[in-house]
Amino acid sequence: MVSVCVARGNPGYIAPVRSDEELMAAYIAGDKAAFRELFQRYSPLLQRAMARDLRSPEEASDLVQQTFLHLHRSRLDFEPGRKLKPWIFTIALNLKREYFRRSKRRHETSLDDDRVAEPFEGPRGQERSDAARETERALRALPPEHREVIELHWFGGLSFPEVAEAVGSTVAAVKVRAHRGYVALRERLGDSALGPDGGDEASASVEGSK
Amino acid sequence: MDCSTIRDAFVNDAALPAGEVQDHLASCAECRDLYQNGGELGRNLALGASTAVAFPDDLFGLLEQKLARETGPRAWLRSRPSGLRFLLLLLPLLAAVIVGGVLRHRADLDEYPLQRVLMLLSIYLVAILIALGKELSEAPRGDAFRDYWALLVFALGVPILAAFAPATELSSQAHPGGALGCFGYGALLTLPIALLIWGFDRDDRVSLRTVCLSAAALGLSANLMLELHCGNGNAQHVLLGHASLGIVWLAALSVTRLLTHLRK
Repeated sequence: MVSVCVARGNPGYIAPVRSDEELMAAYIAGDKAAFRELFQRYSPLLQRAMARDLRSPEEASDLVQQTFLHLHRSRLDFEPGRKLKPWIFTIALNLKREYFRRSKRRHETSLDDDRVAEPFEGPRGQERSDAARETERALRALPPEHREVIELHWFGGLSFPEVAEAVGSTVAAVKVRAHRGYVALRERLGDSALGPDGGDEASASVEGSK
Repeated sequence: MDCSTIRDAFVNDAALPAGEVQDHLASCAECRDLYQNGGELGRNLALGASTAVAFPDDLFGLLEQKLARETGPRAWLRSRPSGLRFLLLLLPLLAAVIVGGVLRHRADLDEYPLQRVLMLLSIYLVAILIALGKELSEAPRGDAFRDYWALLVFALGVPILAAFAPATELSSQAHPGGALGCFGYGALLTLPIALLIWGFDRDDRVSLRTVCLSAAALGLSANLMLELHCGNGNAQHVLLGHASLGIVWLAALSVTRLLTHLRK
């Protein structure tokens, strides 16, 4: 797939959007702007991934910075043909594990932790926030190996093959972990979270069922 | 259609062709879970994916400041490709073994069975390669303590087993004395490499993982060197003098775990 963007200040010029791998290759060759672009692409995703587990946004930001610092230090390890996204998440996961190993603070984020943001407004906003909070609690109660896979797929935006690469496992094993996690989530949510649209509607994501 | 397309559709609240979704669901148990109960789980997970997170504006500026400080010998060492870092660590370790164990070899080396030398050499080398590889690798880090304990058992077990099966007449008549000398000899020749490991380590703070894996590589190298250097096969001498870096490693692990336990 080829995607394009309009360059700032020149509406007539259409510049190709470089892939992550092209940006990384450019950075290795000395293009510092490429590193900034990678940072802009991935820092929000990483911040979300870190902020889910860490108590303060500052600590999450610090780990995001360390991830990019580590990416810089290991830039010469990047091989052509390798996908960048799982690699960045592997670095981030290693740093997060080391952080928890050092501070032993994983269990501080208890199931009663109400840090789920409330981004929804309007008449059904409260209902959606409740559903999000219930889902978050159910996620936190999952075994770490199940939770990790689901979070990387849903909140990190990684495909299952990318998740497998990031956690050092096989696609089949990762999908089994996701399946077990989903089953446990459904059981835990049960009647407590009916979903933002109630639960009696058909999925809005399938054409023809709307 | 794949699982990511399904996920994206839930997150973006986008419609997908029903036929293609049905085809995918027929072969994908994971996505079937998402569509159960009117797609409840998929929609609830999508809520989490669209949740806003706080993000400092100047984060890239702070990162740039840190990048600007990435200068000097350590910055150069830690940014080398991992294959080169591995080689640059392995070569001094092997050089220490050759200098300390081969050039200044044990008095009974002529009687020492070649098969035993080769067997020990192979065992130790494989363990050293594993310890260094794990320390320098950018691969996902799993259960670190399982690795540490496996290497520790190895570092202590092999020399002790070797001590219970003396290779020569001289080593079978050995006494426990001189353990401190052997420990000092092994430490003196291998510990400077710890500085090199620190230089190559890409983490900002030295982690327990680095300490343990470095100690494993250094302890195993010292074991190998002393097996070639010292003919004293007394089990007590071997445990205190030859495998002693492994013991230091065990002590470091135990103290760290104890402190962690006390802090809780």
